[in-house]
Amino acid sequence: MALTGRAAFAAALGVLVVGFLVPSWVGLAAVQLPLLFAILYDLARAAPARSAHFTRSAQHSVQAGSATHVDLTVENSSHRPMRALIRDAWPPSTLPAQPVPQQPRHRVVVPPGEQRRLTTRLLPQRRGDHHAHPVTIRSYGPLGIAARQSDHTVECTVRALPPFHSRRHLPSRLERLRELDGRTNILAAGAGTEFDSLRHYVPGDDTRSIDWRATARQPQPVVRTWRPERDRRILLVLDTGRTAAVRAGELPRLDTYLDAALLLTALAAKAGDRTDLLAHDRQVRATVSARGTASALSTIVSALAPLEAELWETDPRALAAAALHAGRRASLLVLFTGVESAGFEEGLLPFLPRLAAEHTVVLAAVTDPHLAEMAQQRGSVEAVYRAAAAERALAERRRTVQQLRAQGVIVVDETPDRLAPRLADTYLALKAAGRL
Amino acid sequence: MTRAPSLRTAPPTGPDAPADAAAPASGNSATSPGRGLRPPRARGLLLALLFLLLAGLAIAALSARSHQALLDPRSPAPNGSRAVAQLLASHGVDIRVITTTEDATRAASRTDTTLLVSRPELLGTAQLSTLRTAFATGNGRTVLLAPDDTATAALAPRVRTTNRTAISTRPADCDSEYAAKAGPVELGGRGYTTSAAQADTCYPTEHGSALVRIPQAEDNGDTVILGTGELLFNERLAAEGNASLAVQLLGSRSHLAWYLPSPTDPAADSNESGLFSLLPDGWLWGSAQLAIAVGLAALWRARRLGAVVVDRIPVAVPASETTEGRARLYHRSGARDRAAETLRSAARERLAPLVGVAPEHAHVRTALCPALDLHTADPPPNGAEPATSAPLLFGPTPANDAELVLLSEQLDRLQERIKSSRGGKERRP
Repeated sequence: MALTGRAAFAAALGVLVVGFLVPSWVGLAAVQLPLLFAILYDLARAAPARSAHFTRSAQHSVQAGSATHVDLTVENSSHRPMRALIRDAWPPSTLPAQPVPQQPRHRVVVPPGEQRRLTTRLLPQRRGDHHAHPVTIRSYGPLGIAARQSDHTVECTVRALPPFHSRRHLPSRLERLRELDGRTNILAAGAGTEFDSLRHYVPGDDTRSIDWRATARQPQPVVRTWRPERDRRILLVLDTGRTAAVRAGELPRLDTYLDAALLLTALAAKAGDRTDLLAHDRQVRATVSARGTASALSTIVSALAPLEAELWETDPRALAAAALHAGRRASLLVLFTGVESAGFEEGLLPFLPRLAAEHTVVLAAVTDPHLAEMAQQRGSVEAVYRAAAAERALAERRRTVQQLRAQGVIVVDETPDRLAPRLADTYLALKAAGRL
Repeated sequence: MTRAPSLRTAPPTGPDAPADAAAPASGNSATSPGRGLRPPRARGLLLALLFLLLAGLAIAALSARSHQALLDPRSPAPNGSRAVAQLLASHGVDIRVITTTEDATRAASRTDTTLLVSRPELLGTAQLSTLRTAFATGNGRTVLLAPDDTATAALAPRVRTTNRTAISTRPADCDSEYAAKAGPVELGGRGYTTSAAQADTCYPTEHGSALVRIPQAEDNGDTVILGTGELLFNERLAAEGNASLAVQLLGSRSHLAWYLPSPTDPAADSNESGLFSLLPDGWLWGSAQLAIAVGLAALWRARRLGAVVVDRIPVAVPASETTEGRARLYHRSGARDRAAETLRSAARERLAPLVGVAPEHAHVRTALCPALDLHTADPPPNGAEPATSAPLLFGPTPANDAELVLLSEQLDRLQERIKSSRGGKERRP
């Protein structure tokens, strides 16, 4: 039950009646009783709120930062007309700011036995699954002095997909991939190990790639061409422990990881490789096992969308075991993690040699651009101490990276905006060198 | 230590702690509001309140001064009465200023005392009835200056108040001795009529008389009512026969009790019943109904349309937070040795590849310094640099903070020079 402003206004008008006309108990009763009757009448005549029926489609998918809308259908199953105020509640970060996000309210009149569709505009700012909160309906009586109210749980989820900002790096990398692929004639020796085809020699080709047997049967020299291996499996391992929650630059590291992972997946799909994914901190958060290359990107995007960093330390042993298990047939293992000295040296570092022994391991880490700025600060005592602290952090980081490289791990340690393209370049370089 | 400005974010890490421990405990979320920010509307309200307060104080102070001066025998203000007080004193009258009803009662009971009630309209009902009893039994002279209806009815029951008239010079027009002596006097204000038998009514106005004297029946006590007190003002005393009349009326006894009614008088009754009597009769019932209306309004506003919706906000810890914390720890503990060594070793690591020294020999003095000196030796730009870089890169700990700052800048300059000299050499061939 809910009262409206009219009830309060009627009572306020009653002040004049009681104060000037009938200043007594009788006057008080003369105002209150009609008001009470009006409220009871309104409650009795209002269409029932509890038996209102709501339906809507269960699943929506949208890219974070773009607008979408969800429909909510309300059905009045009673025999009284329904004048209602309906609130379709969503988390504030999914609502358009105007300028402050406000829960969408719909005023609606539904004749008996009919349905009405209400449309709510959403603008999810944040990646992930956003669930609808209970719908609240307030059904007013004919006098508009009192209303019945009730909450209804209507399941609905809007999945906001990661924005994939690094998409702009894709065309140039695909161009380079085509160069690798033997489709153009300027094929450098050693680009790939898989036999592709024979063709006539043109000046400029490496003489070492002349196929002498084939040349013997032809009037002209014939060279072999190579193409990079196809159908290799890549396993992306995301460490979603506490180091992924750290914000480097503008985004949490996890979002930078996702961006880089998406670019790599898109590139690998074009190169004919399959991408698997494993997100892990103390337990497995997400796994994707690629069936084919066509749907790899969309599968991985929707698997990554609800992923969030957890505020605890990653279990390195479990992560390494899960990576070894999931990557049994993988030829490239890309590990997204933080390389901050203490936590890393005691955590994942001892397990990396085992991984590196079986796979080509690329470790992708995000460095904070603010550290480099801090190291440049001069001029005051405070600034110099800050510079010293930053230099020390950087030195520790360099030492860890050197240790990793000594163990045969390829390290891509970059600022957030450069991680995705550098990782793609590393992948192309590995592919060109035939190390997959 | 001297500054230690923001201890609140210093994380509990020592100098050797991990460079980046994104500990959730020290998680300063991005949503902490800025301090000292107050919405401008609140500031405007505050200013308005302050203005109101100041204006009220100023008005109160101004009006209080003019009120206090009015008919005060100590005040030299135009509307004070110091002149008449001095005049009476020169005639040998002893003047005493009283402010309480208790004193006034005592003065009224003495034969040798004149009681002047300067502003009878300020007296409350209780005070009036106390004074009335005192007047009935006393036998001194009582002078009332322009009493209103209530005061007249209480203190001089046989006198009635009529309408006001303008103050102007009026002839005595009666055979009383004091009036005859004084001649025309500036009077007016309230007019009075009386039904008492032996009363003097002098200075007639358009509505009643401006001066009424009613003698007590049994002894020589009497009550004098004046239509206005203005003839006692300093600025008016010299005009016409004002002074003469004042001295005769107030100087007939050897003592004069000058009663200035005061709100601090314990006998002054509070006028609350009077305030409430201004309200319509039904106000109590009306306010009961108003309370009901307020309660309904509260119910109306308090009922939410559905529960508060919460947003799950991901945790975000700035990556360099622990590094900042370590910088503050360095600063607070004055760790110049560590800071200098860190800066030097970073500079050495950057310089070594530039001058062709292997990274593993970057921290070996005998390997790095000769190679560096080769580069620094050839174009000496301004002679400000030390001849050899050894003390800069491997020297002692700076003695104070200023030296540390200087060291950091010298290291920068050395790196700049090496870079530019290498760049020049590469370009030359």
